[in-house]
Amino acid sequence: MSITTETVKSHLKDPAIFCCQRKKGLVIGPADLEDPDLFEDMMEAGLLTLSEEGLTIEQVLGAVLITDCDALSPILPTMVDTVKQPVAEEKKKTPEKAEEKSQSKITGEKEDKVLRTLVKRYYKVTDVVTGDITSFENGVVTIDRKLMEEALQADPIVKEIKIDVIKPEERHIHTDTIMDVCPVAAKVEGSLGEGITNVLEGAVFMLTGVDEDGTQVHEFGSSEGFLDERMAFGNPGCADEEDIIIRVEAVVQRLTGMERRGPYAAHKCEDVIIQAVRNVLRKTTDVPVREELCKDVKKYDKPRVVLVKEIMGQGAMHDNILCPTEPCGVPGGQKNVDLGNVPLMLSPNEVRDGGIHALTCIGPATKEMTRHYFREPLVEALAEDKELDLIGVIFVGSPQVNDEKAFVSERLGAWIETMDIEGAVVTTEGFGNNHIDFTSHIEQIGKRDIPVVGVSFCAYQGQLVVGNKYADAMIEINKDKEGFENEIAGCSEICPKDAARAVQMLKNKMMGVEIKPASRKWSQEVIDNNNRLLGL
Amino acid sequence: MNLTVVEGMQSEIFVPVTPDPVWTPLTKPLNTCKVAFITAGGIHRKSQAPFDTSGDYSYRSIPSAISTSELMVTHGGFDNSDINKDVNAMFPLDRLHELVKEGFIGSLAKEMYGFMGGGGNVDKFRSETGPEIAEKLKVQGVDIVLCTGGCGTCHRSATIVTRCCEEKGMSCCVIAALPPIAKQQGAPRITAPHVPIGSNAGEPNNKEMQTAILKDTLRFMAEEAEHYGMCKVLPYEYRHNV
Repeated sequence: MSITTETVKSHLKDPAIFCCQRKKGLVIGPADLEDPDLFEDMMEAGLLTLSEEGLTIEQVLGAVLITDCDALSPILPTMVDTVKQPVAEEKKKTPEKAEEKSQSKITGEKEDKVLRTLVKRYYKVTDVVTGDITSFENGVVTIDRKLMEEALQADPIVKEIKIDVIKPEERHIHTDTIMDVCPVAAKVEGSLGEGITNVLEGAVFMLTGVDEDGTQVHEFGSSEGFLDERMAFGNPGCADEEDIIIRVEAVVQRLTGMERRGPYAAHKCEDVIIQAVRNVLRKTTDVPVREELCKDVKKYDKPRVVLVKEIMGQGAMHDNILCPTEPCGVPGGQKNVDLGNVPLMLSPNEVRDGGIHALTCIGPATKEMTRHYFREPLVEALAEDKELDLIGVIFVGSPQVNDEKAFVSERLGAWIETMDIEGAVVTTEGFGNNHIDFTSHIEQIGKRDIPVVGVSFCAYQGQLVVGNKYADAMIEINKDKEGFENEIAGCSEICPKDAARAVQMLKNKMMGVEIKPASRKWSQEVIDNNNRLLGL
Repeated sequence: MNLTVVEGMQSEIFVPVTPDPVWTPLTKPLNTCKVAFITAGGIHRKSQAPFDTSGDYSYRSIPSAISTSELMVTHGGFDNSDINKDVNAMFPLDRLHELVKEGFIGSLAKEMYGFMGGGGNVDKFRSETGPEIAEKLKVQGVDIVLCTGGCGTCHRSATIVTRCCEEKGMSCCVIAALPPIAKQQGAPRITAPHVPIGSNAGEPNNKEMQTAILKDTLRFMAEEAEHYGMCKVLPYEYRHNV
């Protein structure tokens, strides 16, 4: 979040802080410096301590750095070759939080309150190789070959593990069904949702699986085939076009591919390998290429809204790990099936910091993989919307028993009633039986006179099996021409345009603006037209 | 509240309506009826081609004389472990033979049918698969058709095929783990034991429960279900700790 040349003028007398690590010899420019508007939040989050000795921005611009310098630390006179235009009495500005707060009390207007701050630091990966030791240096990830043996020890159900590295131009190769795409993110400071997380940019892990008989595991359909044809590259849950893919191929015990223990074992073993990379990423001395500042903000004067995400909870692969110790990890997390699928609240930042490891389910195209949650478009859209106060993200599992579906949905309704919210968006991955509880969640919210928008894949193949009168503002996320679960991993998941339509439809409903009833059959035209109205 | 609005947006997903009633009254005593069991839960013979788990409207014939050890499941929509333990949890063929022996029902259809209703193509099931299965059962002189679904869209496919059979003049009941779907999709009769998806016909290896679910369903058809759309909740509960 460096400062721009345009805004630098208004910050000349503010403290000069490097936004990222910088090497000796650098001629300091605006792009190297952190935006002073963020200091208060960073100090509150414990990420930044200003120094009495620190120079101001006008004192360092154009100066040459004579020593390596860490991110988010003040630039001292001893670190530069020359101090430009010293302005003694204004050289630092300590944000005066306490005073501002008391002022807002007097006027009765409450200012936004930053509840927690997370900095995601992205490190560019230029290559991934295997070797004798795991390391991350100068953009190169080296994965210790011995990790494959170590990973096998994590669960006896996994009989074989292989790793290979697939460059973007090498994707026309066979892949078994794609179980998951998982980013590599390591906690450097703080706990889930706050502090600092280091993230690899340009490389992701991809887990595939078969059982000992060669049967594709864990899915309703399978994305096996040529990799370049089997993933919707660039979608939130998928590998991006330019990503290097680190593939982990697991072979699980015969007949366990469609039982809960089989897929879980494969994820556990993969995580042993990812953890080794996290451990070196945590300590990297490379310079991050960018930083993303995520804030959980309480916006007092804006309408409170909540995002409800229905996730699968029916055993087999239909399971998710919540709040693991490491971002997107496995150990330390709770499985929603074991928790009885009851609704749980995560803060938007906890979601964005890898609070969900998806064991991923349903069809390849309609499932939400781990990377999806790490950059969930609806979480981003609602959290960043200046007109809405996103109070949190509720995750509710979809049980396999009808009575339990009613139970979790009624508990959600009772909880919603106490939240004093003015709007809600309900999403689900997959289609079919989970639509029973998905539409029930919509009903539970709608019947309490709270405007609600539903988001799902339905189209042709997944058309709703049940419904009610509250499901009158719905967003279709299908991306397949024929409206089918097309077995392309991540094809019909929530994408940024879907999120934008959902947020707008919610605002319309909250403001009492009419939403025209759906046509009697799935029609892409309706979706295109809504996009057009939003200029998308 | 002051929010940006955009006029003219339209809801993108249609909410289903329940189709017209179909109804064939059951007029014969149970012990003279010929009974068929069909399932959308992906059951087939081990020697047959497995279903395409992403959506498949084909079906497999299952001779009622076959041993259940020759049957298996191919379905990607739920945890398969219960059926892997005991195929009667979805397709209770052994229990049906016992009911014939006991004299509770008259006889079994020689040929029954398995299909994989998950993600099922609604139009194909309605216009091809359903009518074909109904015709084949009718030709065998079947009076009663019982049906299990597996997952959610399976219940939809199961109900579509069941409606075809009812239209063809057989009395049908869906044994539903997900009764709201069977109801919304227009099942003529529904019984609903408290069972998870994947053991829709009762707990695996629990002969008493499986038998009771079948008997209660048949009694409901003969004695209670007087009109279209009735649903009876059965007092059998099984929790599958996956």
